[in-house]
Amino acid sequence: MASSSAQSKPDSKATDNKAEQTQATQQKPAAADMDHDEFEDFKVEDWPEEETEAAQNGGETRHLWEESWDDDDTTEDFSAQLREELKKVNESKRR
Amino acid sequence: MDTIFNEFGVAMTRRNGYELAQTLNPELSDDMLRLVYKTANHASIKDLLKRHIRANTQHLPHVDLDEIQMWVDVFHCYWKTCGELLAIQDRSPKASWVKVYEAWKELFSALHRGYMSPKVELPAWTIPCLYIVGKYLRVFAMNADEERSNNPNQETTETNFQDDLDMEADKFVWLRDCGVQLNRMFTLCLNDRANLMESRKWGIYNVANLLFKTYFKVKSPDLCKNVLRAIIAGRGDMPPFEAIPKSQRVIFKYYQGVLEFLDENYPQAEEHLTEAWNLCHKDALRNKELILTYLIPCHLVTTAKLPSAKLLEPYPRLQQLFLPLCGAIKKGELHAFDLALQEGEDEFVKRRIYLTLERGRDIALRNLCRRVFLAGGFEPPKEENAQPLRRTRVPLDEFVAAIRLGSQEKLDSDEVECLLANQIYKGFMKGYISRPHNMVVLSKSGAFPPTGV
Repeated sequence: MASSSAQSKPDSKATDNKAEQTQATQQKPAAADMDHDEFEDFKVEDWPEEETEAAQNGGETRHLWEESWDDDDTTEDFSAQLREELKKVNESKRR
Repeated sequence: MDTIFNEFGVAMTRRNGYELAQTLNPELSDDMLRLVYKTANHASIKDLLKRHIRANTQHLPHVDLDEIQMWVDVFHCYWKTCGELLAIQDRSPKASWVKVYEAWKELFSALHRGYMSPKVELPAWTIPCLYIVGKYLRVFAMNADEERSNNPNQETTETNFQDDLDMEADKFVWLRDCGVQLNRMFTLCLNDRANLMESRKWGIYNVANLLFKTYFKVKSPDLCKNVLRAIIAGRGDMPPFEAIPKSQRVIFKYYQGVLEFLDENYPQAEEHLTEAWNLCHKDALRNKELILTYLIPCHLVTTAKLPSAKLLEPYPRLQQLFLPLCGAIKKGELHAFDLALQEGEDEFVKRRIYLTLERGRDIALRNLCRRVFLAGGFEPPKEENAQPLRRTRVPLDEFVAAIRLGSQEKLDSDEVECLLANQIYKGFMKGYISRPHNMVVLSKSGAFPPTGV
């Protein structure tokens, strides 16, 4: 049989667990190598508000993102490097 | 067979669409498949089905002969599909996914007739049957395409004269056909004129999602726009979006977001993707990963912000994908940024995020310039106890040196000037370039607007 849905399907007519298992192992992975951006079927059709991602952090999303610069980095090192570099530039100019 | 029709009878009595749809589930164990298929032969199957369906619906007066005949047709196709699936399990020489697909497509047609025929007018609560039919139509079509590409020789006689056709387009013969069928299904739902509570319109999002997946897979995402347009045009006469199950909403919002993303409408993309993210089930890791794959580049462009370590923690793949770039952006290491972009190029292109991520270079450059500014330190105070002021007149040479250092390229000062002018133009940096003095004069208040200096 087909599809990636072996693991994602909640219930099947085959209630016999063993039968299900053999089926799963024998499945031809024909459609396993899906497109990278293909969404998986959810295990359930719907879920309560508290199981949504938004509810996990009390609707707070700010901590998910951070500023794109880094002040912890030793600016001193960089200044030194920069001074070094400037010296080189100036020297090459004088030459 | 008995079990199937017992369940069928129960579902019909309860008017439970999802239970009804389960009786059409083709994903059975080998034993079940054999059991179903071997209960009858081609000559006897129709009578058998009729007996079963009659027996299990006789207490339902509204199920008339026409409807029974329609279900007989549907389950006849189901039985044929089981036979073709069994042939595949048994590795019979005649087995083929194309036959499975064709049998299943016939099932869809039988169901379609049930909805359209004035004699049957299948009620809208049965639409989960369409969901399951659509779902497996896609699975079988993909398997048929796969089989086709694995056995290229089988069809040479047929395809010989089409040799000049694009090979890539050729890869999805069955999935394309599936797209046509799903589109029929979409129209079937969309054009239902019945009162909204009893309308097949409740099915449009599920079918739209199947169409989105299909169009993305056959690499024609633009076709999705027709679907979106049809839904938007019908707005006002549609089920409220909030009333649709969350699984359908998340998938719909994800694809809507990705479509805006591909059109470079980042604010809209971010809105849809954020909605998908917020609604998504907390344990659906793979889907959350997919949402983030687009939300992260989107957020980078709209707000110049990066994902936190906490956000990426559960997703090693995303870490691998984004962390090198993020590190380079933070430190303003242009060269490292270029390398990381190059390193991930294949993946980025495959996921269609390369061009968006490329814009991160401007932010890396902003951070590099910011470091030059910070390294400049403070002006000697003019009076005691005065607030120290940062040095805002920075020699152009310092930027030249820093950018050469960061990019490891021998840029001349004209090129650097151009990069700086761009930064000023894009609002990353406030100030102007004084050419006579070879100075960059930066704003005393907020030279790098959102970054606090």
